[in-house]
This record gives sequence, C-alpha cells and structure tokens, in this order.
Amino acid sequence: MTKVNPEFGRKLQKFGARTSYECFNCGNCTAVCPLSTNEAQFPRRFMRFVQLGLEDKIKRSLEPWLCYYCGDCQQTCPRQANPGEVMMSLRRYLTSVYDWTGLSRKLYTSMGWKVISVGVLFFLTLLVVYLFHGPIVTERVELETFAPAHIVHPVGYAFGAVLSFFLLSNVYRMYRFILGDMQGKIPASAYIRELVTLVLHFATQIRLRLCANKSRWLKHWLLMTGYFVAFMLVNVDIVSRWSLTNEPPAWWHPAKLLWSYASIAMLYVTTEAIIGRLRKKEPLHQYSHSTDWMFLILLWFTVATGLLVRIFMELHWPLPTYYTFALHLAFTVPLLGLEVPFTKWSHLAYRPFAMYFMRLKESASS
Amino acid sequence: MAKKVGAYICTGCGIGEALNAEALAKVATKEQKLEICKTHPFLCGAEGRELIRQDVQAGVDGVVIAACSPRVNTDVFAFGDGVVVERVNLREQVIWSHPANDEDTQMMAEDYLRMGIVKAKQAEIPEPYRVEDLARAVLVVGGGLAGLTAAGAAARAGYRVVLVEKEATLGGWVATRFRQVADRPPYTDLEPVDIARRVREVEENPNVTVYKGARVAKISGAPGMFEVSIARNGEAVTERVGAVVLATGAVPYDASRLEHLGFGRYANVVTGDTLEEMAAKGKIVRPSDGREARSVGFVLCAGSRDPEHLPYCSAICCVESLKQALYVKEQNPQAAVYVFYKDMRSPGQYEFLYQRAQREGVLFFRGNIAGIEEDENKALTVQVDDVLVGDRVVAEGIDLLVLATGMVSTAARGEMMVVGAEEEEEKKSGVSLVRPDIYFRSDLLNLEYRQGPELPSLKYGFPDSHFICFPYETRRTGIYAAGAVRAPMDLPSCVKDGLGAALKAIQCIELTARGASVHPRALDTSYAEFRMEQCTQCKRCTVECPFGAINEDEKANPLYNPTRCRRCATCLGACPQRIISFKNYSITMIGSMVKAIEVPEEDEEKPRILVFACENDAYPALDLAGINRQQLSPWIRVIPLRCLGSLNLIWIADALSKGIDGILMLGCRHGEDYQCHFVKGSELANYRLSKIAETLTRLALESDRVRMEQVSITDYDRLPRLIEDFAKRLEEIGPNPYKGF
Repeated sequence: MTKVNPEFGRKLQKFGARTSYECFNCGNCTAVCPLSTNEAQFPRRFMRFVQLGLEDKIKRSLEPWLCYYCGDCQQTCPRQANPGEVMMSLRRYLTSVYDWTGLSRKLYTSMGWKVISVGVLFFLTLLVVYLFHGPIVTERVELETFAPAHIVHPVGYAFGAVLSFFLLSNVYRMYRFILGDMQGKIPASAYIRELVTLVLHFATQIRLRLCANKSRWLKHWLLMTGYFVAFMLVNVDIVSRWSLTNEPPAWWHPAKLLWSYASIAMLYVTTEAIIGRLRKKEPLHQYSHSTDWMFLILLWFTVATGLLVRIFMELHWPLPTYYTFALHLAFTVPLLGLEVPFTKWSHLAYRPFAMYFMRLKESASS
Repeated sequence: MAKKVGAYICTGCGIGEALNAEALAKVATKEQKLEICKTHPFLCGAEGRELIRQDVQAGVDGVVIAACSPRVNTDVFAFGDGVVVERVNLREQVIWSHPANDEDTQMMAEDYLRMGIVKAKQAEIPEPYRVEDLARAVLVVGGGLAGLTAAGAAARAGYRVVLVEKEATLGGWVATRFRQVADRPPYTDLEPVDIARRVREVEENPNVTVYKGARVAKISGAPGMFEVSIARNGEAVTERVGAVVLATGAVPYDASRLEHLGFGRYANVVTGDTLEEMAAKGKIVRPSDGREARSVGFVLCAGSRDPEHLPYCSAICCVESLKQALYVKEQNPQAAVYVFYKDMRSPGQYEFLYQRAQREGVLFFRGNIAGIEEDENKALTVQVDDVLVGDRVVAEGIDLLVLATGMVSTAARGEMMVVGAEEEEEKKSGVSLVRPDIYFRSDLLNLEYRQGPELPSLKYGFPDSHFICFPYETRRTGIYAAGAVRAPMDLPSCVKDGLGAALKAIQCIELTARGASVHPRALDTSYAEFRMEQCTQCKRCTVECPFGAINEDEKANPLYNPTRCRRCATCLGACPQRIISFKNYSITMIGSMVKAIEVPEEDEEKPRILVFACENDAYPALDLAGINRQQLSPWIRVIPLRCLGSLNLIWIADALSKGIDGILMLGCRHGEDYQCHFVKGSELANYRLSKIAETLTRLALESDRVRMEQVSITDYDRLPRLIEDFAKRLEEIGPNPYKGF
C-alpha cells in the first residue's frame, strides 16, 4: 500500500521530467525497450509511479539505473511523453535522494546553487594556487617548481578521500533503500560472489551494448577508459614522476602515450556530446538539464586545459604552461568535487552497484 | 392473378454455354403451356429489354426472367406497376454454383423455371393501402437536445410538429449543465451550453406547437393516422399525427443505491449533478462545511458496468467527469484532482480533453475501489487497487468525492411487463424458445396496442430495435426513438439521433402516403389480407407480430393496421388456418412452387432438398457462394422467403408429402444478439420447428428431415459444408417413403 502524492510530478519537473503527465500508460515503451525484463519492467511502470507520486516505490527501485536511455521508447511513444527522459530525471532524483548532505538536490534544482558552487570552487582553487605556488621560473618550463609535488599530491589525495567518502556513503544509502528489507535474506557468499558483476559492469558498461545503437557503447567506453586511464596516471605519477616534473620524458614514454589516448578520447567524446546536445537530433540529446551542460562544460575545459598544458610544455612556453595548469586545476576541482559524489558523474558508482544489488536481490529471493 | 405470362430466358453470362436453353424453353412452352417463351443472349441489354417491353405492350402482364439473381438488375427488369416480374436465378444459384452441362444442373434450372412460372401465374398486382385524410404532423415527445433537434429538423422540412414536454421549460438535461465540451478544434475548450438557441429556434418556429408541462395520455391508431391525447393542466388536447419521435432521454441512476461508494453515508460524497449545480453557482465546495474543495475525487462507473446495478456502459460519464475535473482545475489550478476509473472511454476527439486533463495534473487511477473512508475532518480517503501500479494505492484528504452515476432510460422506468409469444401450456414448462418481450409502464406514449402500452425494450430497458442495422427504429412502425432514451450517448450523438429520427418519421409519413411499407421492405405496396370468415381467434398472429401491427377488436378478432405493418409476413407463417395472404406472397403461391418441383423416383437416387432461405441474409449468401464459385449440392431447390418468420408449416407438410427428402431452413441469427431484420422472425421459425417434430414422428418421418441453420450474409463460405452435412444426414436416414404417392 502506497500513498499518493499529487505534488510529486511538479517536484520532478525540476529534475527534468516535464512530460510525465502526457503518458496514458499504453506500455509501448516497455514493449520496445531492449533492456526491460519481466523481473525489472520499465519505463511504463515508472511513468505511473511518477504520475501518482509513489515516492516510496521509486526510492526502493533500482530500475532507473538499468535504463541506458537509447531513446527507442521516446520514438515510439504515441503521446510524446518522453519515457526515456522521465527515467533520466528519476536517476537525477534518485541521486539527490541517495545524497545525505542535501547538496545534490540543491545542485539539481537550483540554478543559483549550481553557478555559485562551481564559481566558488573555481576561484577558490585559483586562490589556493596563487597563494601556495612555488617560484615561477621563466627561462624554461619547470612545472614542479611552480606546483610542488609534495603539496599537490597530498592535497589531491585528501580531496579524493573526501569525495570517496561522500560517494560511498551515498552508495550505502542506496543499498539500504533498495535492499534494506531483505538484508537478512541475502547470503553472505553472494556479496563476495557478485563482486564479479560489480567489476564487470564498472569496467565494461556491457548493458549499454543491449541497446540497439552500438556506437553509443563504444563512445561511452572511450570516454570511460579515457578518464580511468587519466585517473590511474595521476595516481601513479607520485612514483613514476612523468607529469608533475621539471624534466618530462620523451613522447614515446608509455605514460605519455596513454595520456595522449586519454586526452584525445575524452575530448572527442565530450565535443561530440556537446554538438549533439546543440543539434538535438537524437532522443538522448533532445532534452538537456542544466546539470548535463555543467558536466560537459567542466569536463571539456578540464581535458582541453590539460591538453594545452602538455602542448605548452612541449613548446617550452613557461608562463602559458603555469597559467593553463592553474586553470586546469580550477576546472578539475569543481568537476570532481561536484559531479562525482553529488550529480551526474555519480552514476559511475550507482550503475554498476545497481547491477550488483539486483543480483543480490535475486540471490535473496532464490 | 396474371392473365398472360411470358418467359424470357437469357443465355448471356455463360448461361447458354452451361445449360440447354432449348430444353428449358420446352418446359415453359410444352409443360407450363406458356404461349410466349423467348431466348435472348443479352436480356438486360437495350434490345433484350425492348423485346420484353413489346410483349408487355401486347398484353403480357406476368414476366418470368430466367437470368441473373433477383438482387441485381432490378431497375432494368421493371416494366411498370401493372406487371408482375418474377426472376429465376439461373446465373448465381445454378450455373455459378453447379457444374456446366450436367444432367443435375439442367434439372435444377428446369425446376427453378417451373417454380418461377407457377409463382408468376398466381401473383397479383398489389394495390396500395391509402389512408384517408393522412396526418402529416410529427409528434415529438421530449423537449431535450434530441427532441428539439428532431422538432427543428422536421419543421424546417415543412412538417408540422407537435412537441410535448413534461417540464415547464424546454431544454432537458443539457440545460442543467454548467458547460459543454466544445465540438471543434482543439476539442479541449469548455463552453457554455448552446441549448437556449435551440429552444428559441423551436419555440419561434410557427410550424411547431409546443405543449409544456404536458404528457402524452394516449396514442391510438397507426402511422399516418395516430390520434394523440395530450394531458396538460388537467385538460386533454387531441392532436392527429403521422409519426412519432420519442426523445424523452435518460435519468441518472439512483445514487442512494450506491452506499458502498459512500453516498448518503458521508457528507462530502455527491453526484455529478450536484457538482454541475455548484459549478454553475460559482464555487465548488465541501457540502459539510461550505469550504472550497481543494482536493476532488471522481468515481467513474458509479453503478455502471456493474452487474449489481447497471450492467452497461453509460457512454458519457467518463467525458462528463473529465469536464468536471477541469471545472475544479479552472477554479484552482493547484487543486488535487483524482479520477478513479475502470476504463477511460473518451472516444474520438474527446481524447484531447483527456489529454488536457492529464496535462493539467489530474491523476488517473485504473482499478477497483477497495474502500472509501471518512476522516475526522470529513475528508475522504480512497483506496484503489491500481492495476497499472500493481498495488493498492491510497489517496488521502479528498474534500469532495463525485460519483459519475450512469444513465437509466426513461423508457425503463415503471412496472415491468413480460409478454411471451408462446402458448400458455408451454410457458409452464419453463423452456422458452421465444424470448418474451419486456415492456415498462413508463407512461411515455401510452399506446393503445394489444401487445403493450409502450415500446418493447431491446436490452436493459432501452427501446431500440437493433443497435447497428437500424438506428432510431423501434419495434413500433412510425415511432422512432432518438437520443439517450434508446441508448446511452453524448450530446453530438443526440443531435445526430434527433436528425435521423426526424428523417425516419418523414420517410414513414411519405411512404404511408404512397401506401408503401417502410424499411426494410421500403416501397413494398403489398399488405396482409385476412379471410376473416375462417378465423378461429387463436391469436397467433396478434401475439407473434413483431411490430404489434395487429390489435384485437371487441369480438377478439384480429384487427389489422396496414400502416403499422412491415410486410414481413410473420402472421402468414403463424396462422394455423392459413387465412392471411398478400397479393404477391401467399400460402398457395409458395405451396405451388413447392409442388412444381419434380421429384425423381427413388431408384434414380436423386434426392431433393428444399431450402427455405430468408431473402435478407441467407439468399444473398447463396448468391455470394455462386459469385465465389462455391459448388453446392445438386439436390437443393431454393425458395426465398420474406423472412423465415413467414414460413408456414403447411409448406413443410406439402414438401414431405410430395416426396422431398429434406427441408433446410436458412434464417438469420436469433436470440440475444439477433440479426433478424424483422426482430423475431427466425426465432419464431425455430419455435414452430420445435412443434413440427412431433407431427413428423407421427407420420413415421424422421424429425431430422427438417433442419434450421442460422447464417449471415458473410457466411457464404460455410454454405457448401452446411448443405453437404445435411445431405449426408438425409442419406443416412434414407429416401422419403412418400415418394411416388
């Protein structure tokens, strides 16, 4: 038994669902969806939950994370109710529900919060760089002198630790919402066994390949491997010292080759996504929430400034290198700080965990 | 009786190649002794027609056309009022459904020609029945939307209209509405009801006499001569009219019987009518405290589609509730509006209204209501098992719950009368072969008809005759039902109904003026004649007439009203004394057709099956079988009947005593969803068949020799099998022992 909340539809509008009331529940969307199964049916059922405001049911559902928004449902909907976009808004809404700080909800629903928090982090980073940078060598490029690794790396790790804390605590809340009722019924061995599922889906996003358009999986995978490689390179830098250094290695250095791959892959995919969202041809790109733009813009500038730093270093232009590096950090901090635990980028955890939780649920019921 | 009959054999369309035309002509000239028998290769062409026309001018008054089906070329083979035309169907039912140049096919063609000639010889030219001082006025009962439309349309067409309305003002149910849904793009607007304009048009029309605060106390007579007694303010006025339109509408279902939905138990549960009143007054409030209703629920199908209450869909409650939901949203866009429905029936353009309601945030719940409770603030909580959620959902804090009560036809009120057509002793047995007719003493028409004072109802008390084939028709000729009295319907449908019924009424008056029948035997000028000296007052005709055309006089003799008659000849079939006949359709005519069939000796092993086929569906189905080149049994001989209800058992006796092996009766579907064009004909034929079984057994004949099958016009592909099965059964039984007697 669930209570109806007539206000919910209005609330979800701020998360992007403007068309859910158009739906008359015919179920074409569910019929055409390649990902919907008997056990996990969507989007029709969720259109209904949204219309009636069955928040409790939505909170306990993992189905929104099982949808990869190919947009087939949108193209077959007789009422232009955009089920795919409603599922997308549910993911945004759920992200804000999982987040216990409340920041996520603010970022999703308030333009002011978005602009101010990005701005604050951006300028705060610049201020920190301004206050704590090392000596500026103008004869040649000495990046490590400008940004001493013994400061940058610890601060980076501390920042990473804080973000991981927020993200993982939110994942734990997601777990409680979805599996809270059946915690006792899940065998402990399942938690270990299904870790394979978690890793598999984290690394491959293989479900996206079930959608009709396979090129989307490839692009997404390029993007994902791009930042995974970049993330790993930044982490090993403290040992290999190839990046934040005064003597960069030659171009064929494996780390440099990987970095080039990461930069180009990310730049290509983000640029294409921006163009796609401006052209609005595909269903996926037709409805852009402000947080979608926030993510794309921050990511694009982070990658672009990172690439520029490399170019300026190769050209031996000291000052442009330092300034661009400062900008690079100023884009990176809000990108990671706001996107990973609180908004769009958090799906890197929620999606594979949803698969993981689904398997746990199955093991509990079997 | 035709004095001079000529036979004309067409050899076109392949008839000449498949049959021996000379042998056929010999049947006409040698055997039937016709002086004139002509063969032509293209009889329906100008030359062929001219050939016949010249003979007609020379005195031929009975023309037997042995060519194509009587269902085609009717205009070509028409030679004026004084000439009997009989068609022998050699094309569709002989050469197209039987092998060419075959002995049996030739025998069949010759039999059909014999049958056609004897029929033509016996047929007489009908003389139209003319009403003296024909009344051309139209009586419209009920001054609501349908009635006003009918009155306006008939008056504009130049007919005087008598409009009787029981209320003091015209306008009916529509006038009680606050808004109506606009019937033009974008189909989402709510606009003021436009009934006042229609009322003014009718009241200002000099052709219309309006009786307000009046009722019809009595109607006697028949189409073209109805005497109507109208009671108003204690005095009686008499009007003479030609036809009647019944447009008394419907009333809402009694909400006091909906206690399970909270009506009468909770102060804030009301009906849609109450909401309309509130909206018209300007504010939708909670009846318990007069506070504005900020949360309103609508329960659709309140008592409708519910076997405990009204088993049918009332057609408009969904759309009315959508409209009322928008009243609430127009009053306060933030109001929570819930609609609890079984199926949303917003057909056609109403879909846009549904969409608008959804878009404005009205929440829809599909499923059964599991419970309605009142809280301490007199607000209501509704629990519903929503099938689209798959769970029970709860809507709380509803200030006002509106029940969308269904429609009850005004003709379905009053004491119910069940009138059966079966004989008394059979009624006691409890097995009913003929469904009894249901009448309600609804005090709408007060007809002086033997069968009942009001219109017989089709289903659920709605006085329709057939849903699809004959809209507006009722089972009383000249009385047409329009609007919600005959079926639940919305406003545009009521307007269409009003127009349709007015046209039907006018058609009836004009056809009656010409002495002709109305639909479905439109233009037929024959009518029943009774040889009263042989009547035994058995009442079969008065009881069985599906249209109540036969009253009784004070001596209990049948009193026939020709203008009420639809010419189905069910009375002819019913009469055990065989005293009823039509000029061109009688016991002896059909009987002599049966006798004209040549029955070969038993050792020839050529059985004969007589097929009595209803000419509305079964006969065209046989034609269609031919058109589709379905091969039929060579033993059949088909005789078309006006309706299977006109089948008199004497024909079966004639056939069997002649040695015909079996009789197949092909009629329309009867029973619940009947297809019979005369409502009860095939059902009555089935009833009569049940009585012949005993007679057959007494004659030492197997009752299986007579079989009745229900076919529709689209069943032509079933016919070969159906006939073959019967032929096989007859083979098992063996030949008729009366052969050769």
